[in-house]
Amino acid sequence: MSNINRKKWIPWVMVLPVLLIRLFTTVYPIGMTFRNSLFSIKLLSGINKFVGMRNYVDVFKDDKVIASLTFTVIFVFFSMFFHIILGIGLALILNMKFKGRRFLRTIVLIPWAMPSVVIGIAARWAFNNDYGLINDLIRRFVPTFNYSWLIHTSSARFAVIAMDLWKDLPFFAILILSGMQFISFEIYEAARVDGANGFQSFCRITLPLIAKHVATLCIPFTIWRMTSFDIVYSMTSGGPGEDTSLIAYRISMEAFTNLNVGYASCLAVMLFIVMAIFSFLNIRVSRRFSE
Amino acid sequence: MKKLLGSMLVAGMALSMFTGMTAYADDYDLTFYCIDTTDPDFDTWLQTVEEGTGLKINVVAAPTDSDTRQQKVTTILSTGDTSVDVLFVNDEMISSFKNTGWLEPIQDTVLTEDIRGEYAQGYIEHMVTSVDGDIVALPSYTGYLAFWVNQKFLDEAGIEEIVTKEDFEKYLAAVSKDGKYGYGGSWEKTYVFNEIGSFVNMFGGDYFDWTNPGNKEAMQFLHDMAANGYTPLDQLADKYEQMTPKCTDETYGSWFMWGIGGDYKAAGMLSPDQIHMQMIPDLDGDGNRTIYTDSWSYVLNKASENKEAAIKFMQFMTTEEGMKANFECFDRMPPRKDLLDNIVPDGHDAKEMYARFANECYVTGRPMVPQAMEFITDMGTLFQSMIKDEVTVDEMCEKAQELVVKYTE
Repeated sequence: MSNINRKKWIPWVMVLPVLLIRLFTTVYPIGMTFRNSLFSIKLLSGINKFVGMRNYVDVFKDDKVIASLTFTVIFVFFSMFFHIILGIGLALILNMKFKGRRFLRTIVLIPWAMPSVVIGIAARWAFNNDYGLINDLIRRFVPTFNYSWLIHTSSARFAVIAMDLWKDLPFFAILILSGMQFISFEIYEAARVDGANGFQSFCRITLPLIAKHVATLCIPFTIWRMTSFDIVYSMTSGGPGEDTSLIAYRISMEAFTNLNVGYASCLAVMLFIVMAIFSFLNIRVSRRFSE
Repeated sequence: MKKLLGSMLVAGMALSMFTGMTAYADDYDLTFYCIDTTDPDFDTWLQTVEEGTGLKINVVAAPTDSDTRQQKVTTILSTGDTSVDVLFVNDEMISSFKNTGWLEPIQDTVLTEDIRGEYAQGYIEHMVTSVDGDIVALPSYTGYLAFWVNQKFLDEAGIEEIVTKEDFEKYLAAVSKDGKYGYGGSWEKTYVFNEIGSFVNMFGGDYFDWTNPGNKEAMQFLHDMAANGYTPLDQLADKYEQMTPKCTDETYGSWFMWGIGGDYKAAGMLSPDQIHMQMIPDLDGDGNRTIYTDSWSYVLNKASENKEAAIKFMQFMTTEEGMKANFECFDRMPPRKDLLDNIVPDGHDAKEMYARFANECYVTGRPMVPQAMEFITDMGTLFQSMIKDEVTVDEMCEKAQELVVKYTE
């Protein structure tokens, strides 16, 4: 009996170092963030005082935060919308049988493997009116074309969303493709025998069978969009003005550039709460799908 | 057997970690956080400094992006991180940090009384001295935000030199055509602050007083330049990396820029017949000219555990040998006026112009506040809104004054 009791706590001793590291690197910072959100902490001014919920009230009066929230909603909605539409389309293409399919499935992941900062810096140049490859390509068809993508609000936002799609869409498509592999070919055969065309097969067979898979993928991908930071940081610095500033970018600027640690912590807590609610809702939706 | 192998592996990894850290600590006398590591002559500079000081220096490369640079330095200093001893920082960072107590005073060890007078006094007093009277940074060079012109454009406009507002307007109108612009800049929201200030100065304004009519006149001038097509709106997205090629491929006829033209020289464009500095225009006609000076400076981390070595390094940077290395490797003019003639050869373009700036202009540091980057970004964003006609010039001046009050109270 004593042998059994001894063996019960041995695993806990083995994982204790990892648990302690995890507590220190994750739980402790999260706790401190919640705590700091109730303080006004401005490192450059030497201010560190308890202010209660004042930071949370100030958030709704801050034009920069409102601008960040606005673009975050736009960014998440449009990025996810096109992720789903184009992702399914790309997955269908990659699921077809043709020569070089395996090669295509490999190279299509190259953008996903590239660091976001590199993509952002390259995109800053790519969308430049004088030296960018985007305008260079357009000028081969319209020689007099001149447009500075990153100085206008709508086109700068479009550019940011486009680069986000370019980077992550292939990975999303590959994951949908993996779900398609579980659909038996015989179902398509039976449908073809019954007279169904390609579009009907897609709508009546493929789409229903991958819907749950797509819905499940949407949870992490939406959360990643909500916490996206590096593309904006390296590509537009939130500009023009604050029009392409995402909420994660705003938090980083407040915390590490402006050194308003308390206010940044407050924004981080609010983002955390939004993400938690969103995750909960999505899990409920996914469960309903599986029923 | 598996357990034994596993235990040996873990022990080996742990041992190698600690061994590595100890070996690292013994190898170097100090760690220097530096922005120049990507310069082709950096290794030469480092070798010179190590030979001159007898120190082994570990160099940490600074990020090239301005926001990231600020964030990394702030994190190191505010957390009392001992891994970096000497940091190379700009005016924005010094303005933010000089009163925080994170920097070691150097007036008794490095920038001592016998040499202090040879540095630009206005810069030392306003930029690198704390409210307690401590000098916390050592300037590494003297830089001016000079006015540059392309001589070909001047010849085309039939103008010898841009002096008055009328000269400038005539010049802009004459040369801004066929994809060329009489003036170009870097109007990204964290960069345009330099030009806003320069134009405010040229019109006799005051950056900290936006009720001054000179400020409004300056902003109206910039707005009209953009509206008339004399300067492109594209530059709202441009930092210096995007702006410099436009200068060397002759898209711009004039601009403000730091440095002595290393990039233009590398492009084979630096000469009296091509790209060169000229005296700051006197757009308000009162005969006074103001020019911004800046420097990147060496600061000593108060948490440093290698202060002796760090002070030795910084003392070397006050000597002729140290400044000569900076001049020859990075094209930086020496900050000590008593050593200028020893280091910079006669006939050097920048020497004559720099002497003129020092004698004919009111030399001042850029207007900085403790929340420097926040202030700079907010002003830049406001300026961009004005240029895009989202707010009027009057509204911009009003909001700018609110920002000044907010960040200087």
